[in-house]
Amino acid sequence: MIDARRARHSRAICSTSSARLAVLGKRAAGALGLGLLLLGLADCRPNRAQEDDKGSVFPRTETFYLGGRQWGEPSTFNPIGTPGWPISTMNLLYETLLMYNSLDGRMQPLLAESYAVHDDSVEVTLNAAARWNDGQPVSAWDVTFTFGLGQRFKSLNIAPIWQYLASVRAYDKDGREAPEANAGQDYPRRVVFALNPEKKNPLVVLDALQAQIIVPRHVIEPLLAERHNDLDEFKKLKFEHGAVSSGPYRLFSSSSEKIAVVRDDDYWGNVALHGGKKPAPKYIVHPLYKSNDAFSVALRQGRLDLSTTFVPRIWLKAEKGVRSWLDREPYFLSSSIPMLLVNHKRAPLMDVHLRRAMAFAINYDDIRELSVSGYSEPLRPGIILPFGLERRFFSEEDAQKYGTWFDPARAKAELAAGGYTSVFGPRGELVETRDRDGKRVPTLYVKSPTGWTDWESIVRVAVKSMRAAGIDVRERFVETSLFWNALYEGDFDLIMHTPSTQPSPSKPWSRFEALLTSRDFVPLGQRMYKNIGRFNDPHAPGYDPRIDELLALIPTLTDDAVRLPAYRELNALFMREQPYLPLVYRPDTFYEFSIKHWANLPSAANPYLPPLIPGDRLGTNMLWSITPVSN
Amino acid sequence: MLKNRPTLAYIVGRAGWYAVTFFVAITVNFFLPRLGDANPVDTIMAKVSEGLDATSAKAKEEAYLKEFDLVEVDPTGKVKRDAQGKPVRTSLGHQFVNYLGMSVRFDLGSSILQHPKRVSEIIKAALPWTLALQLPTIVLGWLIGNGLGALAAYRRGVFDKLMYPLALLASAVPAFCFGMLLVYVFGIRLEWFPAVGGYDDGLTPELSFAFFRSASYYYVLPFASVFSIVVGGQAIGMRSMCIYELGTDYVKYAKLLGITESKILFYMFRNAMLPQLTGLALALGTMVAGALIAEMIFSYPGLGMAVLTAIQGNDYPLISGCTLLVTVCVLCANFSVDVLVGFLDPRIRAARQTGK
Amino acid sequence: MRLLKQLLKSPFFVLGAGLFLLTLSIGLLGPSFTNVDVNTRAGLAYMPPSAKHWLGTDHMGVDMISMLVAGLRSSLYVGFLAGTVATSVGTLIGLYGGYKGGLIDDVLTVGTNLFLVIPSLIVLILLSASVENGRSLTLIALIIGCTTWTWSARAVRAQAASLRNRDHVALARINGFGTLGIVFFHIMPYLLSYIFMVFILQMAAGILSEASLSMLGLGPYDSVSLGKILNEAKTNEALTDGAWWAFAPAMVLITTIVFSLYIINTSLEGVFNPRLRK
Repeated sequence: MIDARRARHSRAICSTSSARLAVLGKRAAGALGLGLLLLGLADCRPNRAQEDDKGSVFPRTETFYLGGRQWGEPSTFNPIGTPGWPISTMNLLYETLLMYNSLDGRMQPLLAESYAVHDDSVEVTLNAAARWNDGQPVSAWDVTFTFGLGQRFKSLNIAPIWQYLASVRAYDKDGREAPEANAGQDYPRRVVFALNPEKKNPLVVLDALQAQIIVPRHVIEPLLAERHNDLDEFKKLKFEHGAVSSGPYRLFSSSSEKIAVVRDDDYWGNVALHGGKKPAPKYIVHPLYKSNDAFSVALRQGRLDLSTTFVPRIWLKAEKGVRSWLDREPYFLSSSIPMLLVNHKRAPLMDVHLRRAMAFAINYDDIRELSVSGYSEPLRPGIILPFGLERRFFSEEDAQKYGTWFDPARAKAELAAGGYTSVFGPRGELVETRDRDGKRVPTLYVKSPTGWTDWESIVRVAVKSMRAAGIDVRERFVETSLFWNALYEGDFDLIMHTPSTQPSPSKPWSRFEALLTSRDFVPLGQRMYKNIGRFNDPHAPGYDPRIDELLALIPTLTDDAVRLPAYRELNALFMREQPYLPLVYRPDTFYEFSIKHWANLPSAANPYLPPLIPGDRLGTNMLWSITPVSN
Repeated sequence: MLKNRPTLAYIVGRAGWYAVTFFVAITVNFFLPRLGDANPVDTIMAKVSEGLDATSAKAKEEAYLKEFDLVEVDPTGKVKRDAQGKPVRTSLGHQFVNYLGMSVRFDLGSSILQHPKRVSEIIKAALPWTLALQLPTIVLGWLIGNGLGALAAYRRGVFDKLMYPLALLASAVPAFCFGMLLVYVFGIRLEWFPAVGGYDDGLTPELSFAFFRSASYYYVLPFASVFSIVVGGQAIGMRSMCIYELGTDYVKYAKLLGITESKILFYMFRNAMLPQLTGLALALGTMVAGALIAEMIFSYPGLGMAVLTAIQGNDYPLISGCTLLVTVCVLCANFSVDVLVGFLDPRIRAARQTGK
Repeated sequence: MRLLKQLLKSPFFVLGAGLFLLTLSIGLLGPSFTNVDVNTRAGLAYMPPSAKHWLGTDHMGVDMISMLVAGLRSSLYVGFLAGTVATSVGTLIGLYGGYKGGLIDDVLTVGTNLFLVIPSLIVLILLSASVENGRSLTLIALIIGCTTWTWSARAVRAQAASLRNRDHVALARINGFGTLGIVFFHIMPYLLSYIFMVFILQMAAGILSEASLSMLGLGPYDSVSLGKILNEAKTNEALTDGAWWAFAPAMVLITTIVFSLYIINTSLEGVFNPRLRK
């Protein structure tokens, strides 16, 4: 009783102060709520701020937003070194000599107006109108200088091409060699790439012509000399402002959230290549979102115009104005083949029966539908793409005779032929595999990096179907840095890898070379960048020299009449030996765009250019054809 | 001198302990990231070495190792080699001494993944966003949460019965769950607020009205996701403390004595506030770790995402730099709270004066 | 058991305990009722709820209910293990330091502060990078336990310190009990209720920590956990595609478990600390 009175008493005393508190609390809550409401009302739709040009640095009708080429802020814009977007493999600022069109297989001119492949050399003639943005002409000396850097500095990406080159020389219009850089009108415009007679390979040289950006000799050479030719010191230069380049855009700004380039209205190519037209977007902006799904959201909202990120279930975004190259399966054009590399130095993987059993056991349709959202043509045997430009090399007859596909019965037959028996448990799950002597075959692990969701999915499906057929494999996901080490040093049983990406003039030869060459063969533990599974060891007794013969021969062939049989033989060799396990086709870069703000982008219905993003070789040309959508 | 100034003695004493803790922390901070197997130079090499032959690759690798002080160099700058011609790697102890020396000069080295960017540059660019997101959220949340908790402790009744389970629920929902929910409902379904980014794509950070307006608009959802949880947690804590205080003898005695209510309240709040202050200090100190998830979900610019990518890429200098920052924050926060509490809490003052 | 009766009188406790037991039973008994198979592709990706799959499928075409049950089991396991480890370590250290006082107490306090400062995230990454076999649930639970015990150490230490000067302790010391004996037989029994409350909160914190780690992509390699389900929903764009069944149930489950644990804790506090009961 006393307690009750005390309680009531304290409550009474508290009521006045509690009233004050209540008012305070209510006021605070009210202020907060009001503030939020105001903020919310300020812009009801996320797009409004973009369309409101007042105060916006990048007006929406003059800005093209693209994404997927850069993760994290680039640390430097130095054209030599490891720059990020928009420099690395892009021709928005710096340009290449030629551009490859993967739709028709032809090279389009850029800095070079023509080229010719001879028996012992490749010759290039520069466009007379090509200029650097400081007014200097782009001359043959710039080209010889750029390629010459690969001879001087072995750590540059232009260095490996020199094993195929004897020399790179500049010639003036009279055919005389012009070694010294003279000032004046008569600068040389012809460059001759003399092939190494012991390793004749014009395909690799053509690859370089469309991949290597040309740098201004008159700017880079003095800077290098200042630093006593110390490349590391030179690489510390950031090239952020006022860089001398030849391309249609210049760097505008860069932060950890976005990178922007601005149009150079004096670009030489406007008149020389595009009939006087200017690119439609004044600004090109690459926002740096933190994850793939953020790019998807931005596409849906129309904040992004074109992206090369992987967007699952793209058909669900169509109502929001998102389109892909094709408007039905497979939605994109494939050009590379993710596969499982097999370590031929680890037992029992050198047994061709086991490898073929694996190839018959994997459920490729599941991979195609589940792991890559159906973005792939059905897989065929061999490593020649059965569509597009490579189709003429694909032999259906060979595929039927030598190839592998999803067929669990034949998988079991191959296992039996190799003498393997599979032991299954009471619930139907695989317990172990035994070899012909009855000994247990150790579990084979498939390595893949953590966090690469589509690869993870592919590996899981592959492992599951292989186990169902009786092959004891398991997934092993490792940290990305450990993955790369394991890959190049040969520390794996099976490992995920996509060899030789990028559409280029040297396909499909470069895909074969990346997988089958016995050159630069090193033992396990040392690094090998091609034929990583160490198939066809030249020092081992089972070495087949025909593969390397064909690999050396094919680049020198110019006539399809001889090329077709050569490729056919090589592909048949691959199918019979099955050294590696192709899993699915995949585009190197995806291609999805929003129709909300820019129209007339290339697509399968409008294929005036291949599905490449502006800045990625030929994709840049779309900038002169797209038009803003007027609201 | 210190004997006559117990306050100063207390502060110096606490500072001493914190200094020791800091040194041990910086040691742990240095060694832990480097105990892993993977070498970050391998990660860079994997990215840049495609297509290179063996000699070019080796030259490149050595160049990087030299850059990051992972190999010994002689006075002319050339890499020292051992009997087999392989470069001599710097010992871990040596690296540690270099690291201490550099940290004193606030030079945290250059990031490995974003080479050649300096770590301090990266932190300086990203930190303001993290601070802008976390600081107002936590401070405001603390104030309002405590206010609500105190209110509930007073008014018991319906308000308390309603607020209490709500606050409990708010603090039980993990931050990322709530964030994802907000993104889904308000960003994607209703499209009332943007789902990704820190400010409009058409703007650059500058001191302009348009920029601040845009930034505030993008701020709402990330703010809300962290705010409600802080409010919930604080409200519950404060409510229990207040209820406890309300029932103490001294409050009853003071009421019976007829002391003015506001004075009683003042003392009550001061006592109830103390543990809440400690909570605030801890929250401020672990800001960056909490920022990680919010920044990931909203693709919000800031330090959190940089730390995560650094961890996944074994970018030692950036990891060490960021964790050092967190360490310093936590220790400073704890230290200031200790000092503050020492002034506010008469029990500690008494303990000091009479000796522990 | 008088205690239990008292607890059952509080509606809060009934609610909390009921919710927790419900989720626990889903986790423990779930496999007996439905076929929990997280590896079979049972349908297309992100199929909406239907008669065959009550909560649809996830990005791999796996039945969502299977994933949730498996995830629930993992999360409960991690919470329990991490909570146990954290509470045991923290209690031991807190009891010892609180009872002894003096230099030992100071050293232990500095040690506690130290552990407070090391981000558990870093330790987890390093271990996962150096261990090829990767992160298992047990490893994650142990790490969470070993980095979050500081809170319980502090709490228990404060309580133990206040008990230090009680008469029965002095009596025990006179009778010749060693430190260990006093701590275990004369101090701890008074704190059992407190320790139990601490355990409940540590368990909740453990579940939340694991969910956060998984959300960041640092979760267990081979097992399913609720945080991992949420992470995969985000990276596979369930949010953008409106596949609410891929993340909403998991969210509800996590929140329910943690919420119920919090409620249990509060009601326990109400019973053990009578002043709060008013």
